[in-house]
Amino acid sequence: MEMSTQQIEALVAEVMNKMGNQKNSTGGGVPSNSSGNLKLNENFGEGGCEPFDKEYGMMDFGDPTKVNPSPYDRINRILHRVHAIEESVDDERAMLYTEAHQKFGGNGGRQILTNAKILAYLLENLTINIYPDELIVGEMAAPARHSPIYPEFSYDWIVRELKDNSWSSRESDVFAVSDEVKENLLSIADYWEGKNIKDHLIANYLTEEEIKGTSLEDGRPVFMPNLYVYGGVGHTCVDYENVLTKGFSGLKKRIVEKLEEIGDFSTPENLEKREFYTAGLICLEASSNFIRRYAKLAKDKAAKENNPEEKKILEQIAANCEWIAENPPRGYWEALQLYHFVSNITLIESNGHSITYASFDTVLYPFYEKDMKEGKIKKSFVSQLMESFYVKIFELRKVRDNDTAKVNSEVGIGGACLVVGGQDENGNDVTNDLTYLAIEAHNHTRLPDPWFAVRWNDAAPYELKVKIIEAIKIGTGQPKLFNDLGIVPAAMAKGVSLEDARTCTLVGCVEIDVPGKEYGAHDASYFNLAKVFELAVNGGRCIDCGSGCPRWEKCGAKGNYLGLNTGSLKSFKCMEEIKEAYRKQMKYWVDRLVGLLNATEKAHAVMKPLPTLSAMNYYAVEKGLDLTEGGAKYNFTGPQGCGPATVADSMSAIQKLVFDEKRITGEELLECLSKNWEGYDDLLHLVNSDYIPHFGNDIDEVDELAVFASDVYFDEVSGRPNARGGIFVPGLYSVSANVGLGLAQGATADGRTAGEAVSNCIGPVNTHLGCHDYNGPTAMANSAAKYDHQRAGNGTLLNIRFTPNSVAGKQGTSNMINFVEAYFSKKPQHIQFNIQNTETLRDAQKNPENYKGLLVRVAGYSAYFTRMSKALQDDLINRNAYDEI
Amino acid sequence: MEKKIIGKVINIQRFTIHDGPGIRTEVFLKGCPLHCMWCSNPESINKQSEVGVYPEKCLGIELCGHCLKACEHDALVFEGDKILRIDRNKCVNCLKCAQACVNDTLKIFGVDYTVGELMDVIKADRKFYDTSGGGVTFSGGDPLIQWRFLLEVLKECKKIKIHTCVESELFCNKKILDAILPYTDLFISDIKHMDTYQHQLLTNVGNEIILDNIKYLVDKDIPLVLRIPIVTGYNDSDENIRKTGEFIRDVLDNKIIQLQLLPYRPLGEDKYAALGLEYPMKDMPRLDRDKYTPQIYRIVELLQEYGVPAVAGALKLTEVMQKESPELRGVSQRERYKRVDANGNR
Repeated sequence: MEMSTQQIEALVAEVMNKMGNQKNSTGGGVPSNSSGNLKLNENFGEGGCEPFDKEYGMMDFGDPTKVNPSPYDRINRILHRVHAIEESVDDERAMLYTEAHQKFGGNGGRQILTNAKILAYLLENLTINIYPDELIVGEMAAPARHSPIYPEFSYDWIVRELKDNSWSSRESDVFAVSDEVKENLLSIADYWEGKNIKDHLIANYLTEEEIKGTSLEDGRPVFMPNLYVYGGVGHTCVDYENVLTKGFSGLKKRIVEKLEEIGDFSTPENLEKREFYTAGLICLEASSNFIRRYAKLAKDKAAKENNPEEKKILEQIAANCEWIAENPPRGYWEALQLYHFVSNITLIESNGHSITYASFDTVLYPFYEKDMKEGKIKKSFVSQLMESFYVKIFELRKVRDNDTAKVNSEVGIGGACLVVGGQDENGNDVTNDLTYLAIEAHNHTRLPDPWFAVRWNDAAPYELKVKIIEAIKIGTGQPKLFNDLGIVPAAMAKGVSLEDARTCTLVGCVEIDVPGKEYGAHDASYFNLAKVFELAVNGGRCIDCGSGCPRWEKCGAKGNYLGLNTGSLKSFKCMEEIKEAYRKQMKYWVDRLVGLLNATEKAHAVMKPLPTLSAMNYYAVEKGLDLTEGGAKYNFTGPQGCGPATVADSMSAIQKLVFDEKRITGEELLECLSKNWEGYDDLLHLVNSDYIPHFGNDIDEVDELAVFASDVYFDEVSGRPNARGGIFVPGLYSVSANVGLGLAQGATADGRTAGEAVSNCIGPVNTHLGCHDYNGPTAMANSAAKYDHQRAGNGTLLNIRFTPNSVAGKQGTSNMINFVEAYFSKKPQHIQFNIQNTETLRDAQKNPENYKGLLVRVAGYSAYFTRMSKALQDDLINRNAYDEI
Repeated sequence: MEKKIIGKVINIQRFTIHDGPGIRTEVFLKGCPLHCMWCSNPESINKQSEVGVYPEKCLGIELCGHCLKACEHDALVFEGDKILRIDRNKCVNCLKCAQACVNDTLKIFGVDYTVGELMDVIKADRKFYDTSGGGVTFSGGDPLIQWRFLLEVLKECKKIKIHTCVESELFCNKKILDAILPYTDLFISDIKHMDTYQHQLLTNVGNEIILDNIKYLVDKDIPLVLRIPIVTGYNDSDENIRKTGEFIRDVLDNKIIQLQLLPYRPLGEDKYAALGLEYPMKDMPRLDRDKYTPQIYRIVELLQEYGVPAVAGALKLTEVMQKESPELRGVSQRERYKRVDANGNR
């Protein structure tokens, strides 16, 4: 029996009232007057449920299945249950996708229609679950904390790593694989050979010469374009506003209107549009049906549920799902539920990660405001909905290949950024109750997901800034802070309008994106500036060129070089010659980078159009063009430069030792580096000492070299045309790719030995002989601010680690706010903090069993320290920790 | 040509948060008139540059050996391949060995700065001072040992309105104080012991000049923070604490911003070794935090009986200094947050 609207409203009011009045379990959370029949605004005033300056203290690093971070029993029960699930691989999506591909793939239709039918088949047949206690339901094609598999992108690494059982036995990012799953996944290996994007790309688009110097071959990579070669693009924000205001029925209606508008289908262009719209309709209809399946499941579960409160919740979930399957949501609970479904369906369509939940507080506020005005909802219930929602994001898992696992340690779907704060299109601060509640939800769940981000607007209330810093001091590494003074102009510099730039959000680690209007391919590649420098000063040869290199036979042995011969330090007489060589070498490699990325995007457009994501996007529907082909309002491609400080410190050492003091000749220095400093211990120590001016100490002469190193990259990349009618926009951050790139690079003149990480993002060099910044965090911040952040439209990233001591108490909070405000006044884009002692991290390396819950910030995300590889742990420990003075 | 005044700087610490309000840059100038037996910074006492030795960092003669080539006075003593110490009788303090050293095995304490060079460093963090109400603190040693240099730097700071704080022992001629007072926004000083004989034993000098200078500053209404480094068994007797309380109440009329009680931490043993000096506090038992913390709080209570604004630690100064009118109404959120009492409570 369908329920009438009145019945549903009555039930909503009843359930929510009850939930809102629920007593705290652990105390200290919600003020004691939160129960009773007061209206909510009278309960708490503006902001969240808790005082804005509540100090939470450092989190418990122990077993997360035993601690109770939330004031709500329900949420702690959910957390315990979810933390106890072993991360595993699930085969259902892969098997269903294969069935559907066999069924629809060979009938000669256009790819976009095939993909739509496959998605519909998945949504119809995937097993779905509703778990105990949860208030928000829905999964991504696999049970909670299980990773689905996407054979359509790439499959050879999956087969290889399944066969040698590495997922369950590797050092970091471990996933369990049952025998049955393994057998099933191996059974489709033959089918997918040659049919996936990666195989297609390698076979039909790229020559062996074109993958030279990339991570697609064994050797010494200059750049790593792995992400979009092996998987989906993702890195975008669903047009949530479009979906939430129109509902699926509205989206479908608009597509039907567009088809009617076109009318004439005799032209090839209009025929293509018809296919695009038809595919969209199939996907939207399938999505509605998928949500209805949850409605039915919830109803069935409710019928069997004995606990009256849980029964009511399940009935409400059923009613919510039934309604939002077609209609725009009427209140906050429905809106959040639809938000979650839309993200999940996007992730079922493609494994492109970094689907951003942005800008959360702005998009959902109208629903919250309406419920509050009508007295339908209590703040503490809003809290619980959000906490349940955060755990659902934490449930999304993605298995990655061994090489990535070694350097990334991200087992989540990745990049699920949830952004709050900032400005509206008119430049006014957007802070509202949900901004505070979203921070509290993180404080109560203490998970690495969502990747929580705050836009730090100068004009935001001081209370919000205190609230943000108190959250950071919990020690999860979250949230990361983005500077409106930096990101808005950077967005405009890449061609975004003022109004759109003001409403920008963050995707993935640090990428600036206009929600619903931009398809930015933000994580297109990591590009090693330090390797370009090495080739520039060594005649285009790798410094460690020799038979130990996997590509020796086809390269060095034949007298070939990896790069372009741009001269050598043997003959360079001054820094200007080095700079010129670096510029030439840069052009050579950026040409190759852009070519390869454009080929990759072409392959995606041909083989993996995204009809669901596109059908939900206002601009794609208006244009009648898939997002992979340029359907968005803004189309960018963003590859990141890595290791600028390694270049700067290398140049600084060369300037001082070779050119100024003539302590060593250029030839000797190259010899020394080719021997990985063997026999040059004194020199190695000297270049690692403050005798050489180093980046990160607010010394202009060397900071300018770092700016030079990045500017040359920006010059080459910026504005090049991409495959979707847009342009390339550079970023300047490595995430943890600095570890991977460093592993495959020989010694460098900054005092790095072979295999050590190159410099992290826009931070200083750190080697096993110490960190190259020694003037404290203000000097580091000043140096970092000197980069041309406005030209890095795809983002920049600064990691700072403080010891808990240095930020203790209210004085510490105020110091941190002041620190951030002073740094941000210099218009950089971003900063993020780890609040950990070096001793804690070392002890956790030794006694991992005591630190199961220890979260640390790796890059754009936080991860569990004890589940990381030692190489990444060491890189984190080697970064300077600023202590109290 | 104008003669340039040179300062001997031990260290410049940016982002300090303990010695004065807000985020500060702290400049440690070399030389000290006192010689406290618990001193954690023995390198700060001597006015001249000197070389410390850290043998554990030495690469050895075979791999390196640059110091051996640089020393013209045969003053380096090796044990096997690696350096052990400097023979201070032979050493002429030319610093050449340390200049040749490739890492910090031989470390120079005391680097020359001109006023301009030092100002460049101080000005670099201007933005951080402005957001936090911070500035620059001069410490040491005792910065008044190099008062001519200090005076020039203070003048430069005040020209561009940077908040200045001088942390001094105040064992000096009043003329020096008179010279720097117009350019100093805040003083920090110690009362190490009220009994001049004990003071002489502990620090090498009596306390009369110091107490007199403290009174001199208070009489002139100069903002002053006093500190007692609590050294168990040396200056923490009830009698000494009560005398300190009486002095601050009766002589100073409690007109100080704060009296901070700082825990003595037995640090610096490695620096004594590096300088070839015997560590004077080697018999001092390790700090037992569980016993020590209650002791500090007991002393705070004792002093509060005298109406002295005593607090434990140095972290609560910013709030006190930024405290304004008691009325909350009409005060910005930012100020409201900062409105706290001497104990940091709101």
